[in-house]
Amino acid sequence: MDFAATLGLGLPIGIGLAAIGSGIGIGFLGQGAMGAMGRQPDVLPKLQVAMIIGFGFAEALTIYAFVTMFFLQGKIQ
Amino acid sequence: MALALTALILPAHPGAAISLAAGQILAAMNFFFLEKLVKLFTEAAISKSPAEASLLRARLLLFAGIKVSVVYGGAFALTRWNALELWPLVGGLSLPLVALFFKAIMLAVSSGPENLLRRAPSTAGSSGNLAKPAAFILLAGALLFAAPSANASKPLIALPHATADSATTHSGASDSAAIATGAAHTADGGGTHGEGAKGGEAHGGGGVAHLPNWITILNDFFPKNGVIHWMHENEYLVFAWLAGVVFLGITWFGMRKPTMVPGPIQNAIEWMVESMEDVCGGMLGKHLPKYFPYIITVFFYVLTMNLIGIIPGFKSSTSTLDVTLALALITFLYVQFTGLRNLGPLGYIDHLAGSPRDVVGFIMLPVMIPVHILGELAKPVSLSCRLFGNIFGEDTLIVVFVGATALCLKASLVALAVPPMLGISALFMLLQALTSIVQALIFALLATVYLYMMLPHEEHAHGNQEHAHGSSH
Repeated sequence: MDFAATLGLGLPIGIGLAAIGSGIGIGFLGQGAMGAMGRQPDVLPKLQVAMIIGFGFAEALTIYAFVTMFFLQGKIQ
Repeated sequence: MALALTALILPAHPGAAISLAAGQILAAMNFFFLEKLVKLFTEAAISKSPAEASLLRARLLLFAGIKVSVVYGGAFALTRWNALELWPLVGGLSLPLVALFFKAIMLAVSSGPENLLRRAPSTAGSSGNLAKPAAFILLAGALLFAAPSANASKPLIALPHATADSATTHSGASDSAAIATGAAHTADGGGTHGEGAKGGEAHGGGGVAHLPNWITILNDFFPKNGVIHWMHENEYLVFAWLAGVVFLGITWFGMRKPTMVPGPIQNAIEWMVESMEDVCGGMLGKHLPKYFPYIITVFFYVLTMNLIGIIPGFKSSTSTLDVTLALALITFLYVQFTGLRNLGPLGYIDHLAGSPRDVVGFIMLPVMIPVHILGELAKPVSLSCRLFGNIFGEDTLIVVFVGATALCLKASLVALAVPPMLGISALFMLLQALTSIVQALIFALLATVYLYMMLPHEEHAHGNQEHAHGSSH
């Protein structure tokens, strides 16, 4: 198992793991935000903004893995 | 968008372009007559006097007759006329529908209908403030100009081998593939790759396929032209400038003569500016008027650059790390400068040290200062990588599916290619519109949050900080 094979195996698995984490995070965020919106519809715009920012933070982790994949993809020969 | 598409394919495939234009004109006429009919129908339904109602009903019948004869007769004639090709016609017919779909998505993203109905003419002045956006775009352009020459990040992405997708799309661009995917050929792939390598750098193509834009097509037609070659090498820069010009043009056009009862464009601009003002005002409070021009400029600039990538033949400038890093660095410097000016040098160092107020805080000082400095330095990295990764990933997704569609079309598997594959890529384009808006919003909101963290807070506001802030006003 050389360097390229390890990289070729590791990159997709890494992205998948990162996506699992982000998915759990976004799921919790959405659950909390939806519950709060259902209980208090008055603060809906504020909650939406906070939720979108939170989505951005949670999603960014997967994006980092994605960018790393693109940077390392060229090393798989 | 439609005109751009037609003009794009006109030189290579005149028949296809004419069919596309015919389809678009037909769809436009259909919408026009439909609007007239609906208007007449509602007017007839609510009109008071019977004579007026009967007159309106007669006009309704007349318009219905014209619509049926023109639109459906035209459609029948077009399908009979052999010079026209089927797929471009269908594409032209469906383009307005796609545009409508985008509009619906944009409406759904906003926070409810009451925002649409509410109008505040008093804020017409705040978005007519064109000087700051212009200065900012010039600054961004200057920074971007420095970025490609340094060429720091391009070799990381430019990979040496070409994928099967790009090679096949390049060689086998049949007419229907060209129209159905809105792209003639992936010119950054195999064909021009040798030229790029000969020119000193392997630009763009390779392992990560790009859809061609009008600059790559121009470069294919005039490979010797110096200006076009320069544009081809710095296409992100060209599209960033284009986004700036488009954004300034729309703003100027909409805000040329601001009126109390705004027209459609003015209303749209005011609505967007006001929504952002509401959101940022919740965070910045009384500091809003000072920092809002920067935030809204970043928002509109990033939004324009993101959305311009949806138009076939254009490219999102934000799908390269050069542009996003330049934007993030500008934001970072602005935030640090704001912190220094508002908190003062001592207050700034105090902020970096985590505002120690007790014994434990001072003991933790050697640990806290590096942590906070690292946190500050992580801001531009996270801002730029988030924007770049989102837009670039979405683009790559669409390229992969468009390439699969072209592959199926080349193997004459039209039944397999067009409904599922094209449907999937159209869905991803809707997703791209959503991502573009959300990412621009997140970029602007994070800039707001970083600015907010640099401002003196009311909770632990101290006399000297308040004084420093007061004098800076």
